[in-house]
Amino acid sequence: MPKCSINGKEVEVKEGTSIIEAMQQSGDRIAHYCWHPGLSVAGVCRLCMVEIEGNPRVQIACNTMVTEGMKINNTSEKVRDAVKWGLDFHLINHPLDCPICDQAGECGLQDQYMEYGKYDPEMAEPKQRKHKVVDLGPTVVLDSERCILCSRCVRFTEEVTKTNELGIFNRGDRSEIGTHDGMPLANKYSLNTVDICPVGALTSKDFRFRQRVWYLKDAESICNGCSTGCNVKVYYNKEGFFRVKPVYNEKVNGHWMCDEGRDIYKFANKEHRLLKGQIHTSSGWTETHGGAAAKAAHEVIKSTAADALALVLTAQYTVEEFDAIVGTFVNEFKTKKVFFWINNKETFDSFDGLLLRGDKNPNTKGLLKVLDKHGVTATWGDLSQGVASGAIKTVVVAGPENLSAFPDFTERVAELSKAQNLIWMQADKNDALKNLKGNVWLIPMKSFTEKDGTFINHAGLEQKFKKVTTVVSEALTLTEAALLLAGKNLMIPPAVGEFLPANQREDQVMLEMRKKNEFVFKRGSL
Amino acid sequence: MSVVQNNSEKAKWYLPGILGGMKITMKHLLKNLFNRKKMISLNYPEEKYEYSPRFKGNHVLTVKKDGSLRCTACMLCATNCPAECIKINAAEHNDPTVEKYPISYEIDILRCVFCGFCEEACPVDAIRLGPEWQTPGVNGANFIYDINHLAFRPNLKGGILTHVDDEERHKQGI
Repeated sequence: MPKCSINGKEVEVKEGTSIIEAMQQSGDRIAHYCWHPGLSVAGVCRLCMVEIEGNPRVQIACNTMVTEGMKINNTSEKVRDAVKWGLDFHLINHPLDCPICDQAGECGLQDQYMEYGKYDPEMAEPKQRKHKVVDLGPTVVLDSERCILCSRCVRFTEEVTKTNELGIFNRGDRSEIGTHDGMPLANKYSLNTVDICPVGALTSKDFRFRQRVWYLKDAESICNGCSTGCNVKVYYNKEGFFRVKPVYNEKVNGHWMCDEGRDIYKFANKEHRLLKGQIHTSSGWTETHGGAAAKAAHEVIKSTAADALALVLTAQYTVEEFDAIVGTFVNEFKTKKVFFWINNKETFDSFDGLLLRGDKNPNTKGLLKVLDKHGVTATWGDLSQGVASGAIKTVVVAGPENLSAFPDFTERVAELSKAQNLIWMQADKNDALKNLKGNVWLIPMKSFTEKDGTFINHAGLEQKFKKVTTVVSEALTLTEAALLLAGKNLMIPPAVGEFLPANQREDQVMLEMRKKNEFVFKRGSL
Repeated sequence: MSVVQNNSEKAKWYLPGILGGMKITMKHLLKNLFNRKKMISLNYPEEKYEYSPRFKGNHVLTVKKDGSLRCTACMLCATNCPAECIKINAAEHNDPTVEKYPISYEIDILRCVFCGFCEEACPVDAIRLGPEWQTPGVNGANFIYDINHLAFRPNLKGGILTHVDDEERHKQGI
């Protein structure tokens, strides 16, 4: 375990740690472009310069290993000057595109320029023009002029996806990133290259020009695209969600996430959502408040015998919600007819070796655990039989959030609609539901961005996540729906420990005193 | 509120004051009658005062030589706007040298405080505050100005040409 000192601080690191990793560990800031913790070391940007005592020249931190007693400094004038000149050379051919560049606001060049640059350029020659708006594949657009040739994206396709689509072509200041003919950047992880691009050379087609990044807020959440449960950041503002980016978690997804998971923000947006509760009777559809629809559904459940009541669950909800609704059915309604809707049986156990799993539900393990806890053993066959024969009269369905992961959705709706009463709880609207006949109660549900909860991923790892924002205010969580279906009322939990005299300062003036004081104050005398 | 009442003897002599006022009125009347060109008041709305070109009045979106909008939809004006009255929707242009352009650009003129920050923020001289200062409208008038109004309203006579030309900039190596 070598010990070194970084900017005067003693740091102990593991054997074989590079200086830049040691600086990340100690929390020191260092300028860098080409180094990425998830990729190999390239050492091409020459920006992570540090001064090492006993060494006459500055060194790059990413490719120098820490040795015992090393004294490292990256705040000296010499280092700042080296970084400044490195930056100057990077910016020689970089166009002044910031106003139309999607990266502006989260750009490495902008950050480092504000910290180390602020010089007047000394380059007299005109800039080298390169290709703009190059279509690299179905998801990514390249602007070669903005590229600083850090080679992060090339190393990503080489090391992580091992598809080798990208390469650096030509030499000198004519060097460009590009793909070979007939080999577009079309792997399932291609948008990670956009994330790791420190400048605006690679931009995502999906997000391109839709918002400036400084208009977006971010919050951490868990991807509900598949059972891997990648840690993500969702970016949103009052108009809705705009993009999803991965968050580093060593145990789950490392630094990356798949392109499929980046689409999960779409179904959480308002235009795809069920905004109101809807009730279909013989006289057609009527719109009500979401909670009112659930209360109306309670009347039906009450009049149904316990044998004729069934619950269908998709594994898209949180553990807490499953526990609430299964608990309600088993304990209140005295039925154990709870069924697990498995969406794609054939590919359920498949895995592509990196992140993508065939089980497109975030919480299959969680649902199985809850079903196990309540001793539910029913199988789908019982349900089909019961519905077809008329033994099951009322079916309550907690439908999927991510409809694209449910190819059998329309079939299942048709199958379940044979029941006399159908209570369907779902976040997104769908034509198959709109065209239903008979007695139907549609209850809008909250998406995973709108509630707190826990997902248990394929490996049994429990991951808690928090509410990001509210998109549809009338939507219910499954816990709330379970309460309303059982005929109970929703309650706001009483505030504990807030506004109590115990929290007051000793010298705090009471509100009554302040009021009195205001009237004592003499006004208006001439 | 207090009312000051002057009950002194001097205050009863009101006639000199009235006559003094009449004198000033007559002076202006005669001056305007015999020297009408120097008359201070304008016969608004027939005559209108023209402010200098630096006056911060209604916004103008400038155009390029080919008549298309100069605006690149960078949204710096919207970011800088203290009244949050600018709304822009950007889209991808077919021409790769243009790349980004606004498909809608709206200014809520009733929210605008005419501070001119949008003009200052603009990197390409795409928005200016013009000398136009009248924004009348009766009930139901649209006070949210769109691209058509901002760039091509009739009194701009086909649009105002921008100072910043991309080709010239590229020749200079910017």
